[in-house]
Amino acid sequence: MKKTNPSFLNGVPELLVLRLLARREMYGYQIVEEIRTQTGAALSFGEGCIYPYLHYLEAEKQVSSQRREVAGRNRNYYKLTARGRKRLEALTSEWKRVTTGVSLLMEEQYA
Amino acid sequence: MPDFIEPLRRRLVELGCPMTQMRRLVREVADHRDDLKQAAVSEGLSGADAEARANTQLGDPLALADELMTALRRSSWWGRHCVVGFCVVPLLAVPVLWFALLLLQLSLGFTLGFGWDPKNLHAAAGNPVVFRHLVIVIQCANSVSIASITLLFCWLARRAAVNFKWMVTACTICSLYALFVQASIKPHSFEVGASWTPHWIEAAIPLLIAGAIYVFHRRTTQCFREKVAG
Repeated sequence: MKKTNPSFLNGVPELLVLRLLARREMYGYQIVEEIRTQTGAALSFGEGCIYPYLHYLEAEKQVSSQRREVAGRNRNYYKLTARGRKRLEALTSEWKRVTTGVSLLMEEQYA
Repeated sequence: MPDFIEPLRRRLVELGCPMTQMRRLVREVADHRDDLKQAAVSEGLSGADAEARANTQLGDPLALADELMTALRRSSWWGRHCVVGFCVVPLLAVPVLWFALLLLQLSLGFTLGFGWDPKNLHAAAGNPVVFRHLVIVIQCANSVSIASITLLFCWLARRAAVNFKWMVTACTICSLYALFVQASIKPHSFEVGASWTPHWIEAAIPLLIAGAIYVFHRRTTQCFREKVAG
């Protein structure tokens, strides 16, 4: 993630990556592109910086990876594990709780 | 390999990235770069322009290596908490680990050699040759224990890819501990504890291990540079 509000955005990269991988298995470049396009470029990983993060998630057994050849290209494909799915559920409910709280406060302030 | 990848690989080696991690990171960044190039080509750019754009998007390879290493360090507990992991934990864990390892080795040694009967110790005390052997066994057990603990912290430091100074810090703590705390055998008694008599040989072991790892790292980096240059 870019270095904007690092403490506020703690946990967001994990949530985004797990959410994308919950839909289908992907490789690093696809994940970076999907995050950029689906957030309207509001959030983006630095090119190449996603890999240590994916390795960390793999070490935590939240994702698994497999090197495969697809259309003549060898790439590491990442997919969500059962543990990752549980983590995603926990992060999603936490995210909803935070955004609901922030929304309530903002609505009151700007009402 | 194109110009971008080799500087990245070299910088990762210089920063002490573990080899397995380095190979995997470089391979995935190379794949990523190919994807960026392919995307540029599909937008109508020529091969050279696509390569230039991919390099621009990835940025400076040395800066990327630094960022990758920072991310790698942050991805482990030992990398995130260097002060606690390599200063506080050794202070607390070294005595416990040392004592446990020492007991384990002595238990095995005595069980295989003498049995645990104190009469055997008294009998050994009366025989200078056997007693001399016992002293050597205890000294070896001390040395093996402190060397094992030092290697454990060095392995943790290498695995977390932390700065070399943290490995040296942990080794220094192990060394200071070995300098004053020892197990020793005297005729008719076995003692474990601190003494004001310094034990230079045992204290030198952690520092020698740190030095050997540093020399190995320097040689690896040097060999790697020569290989790339050749």
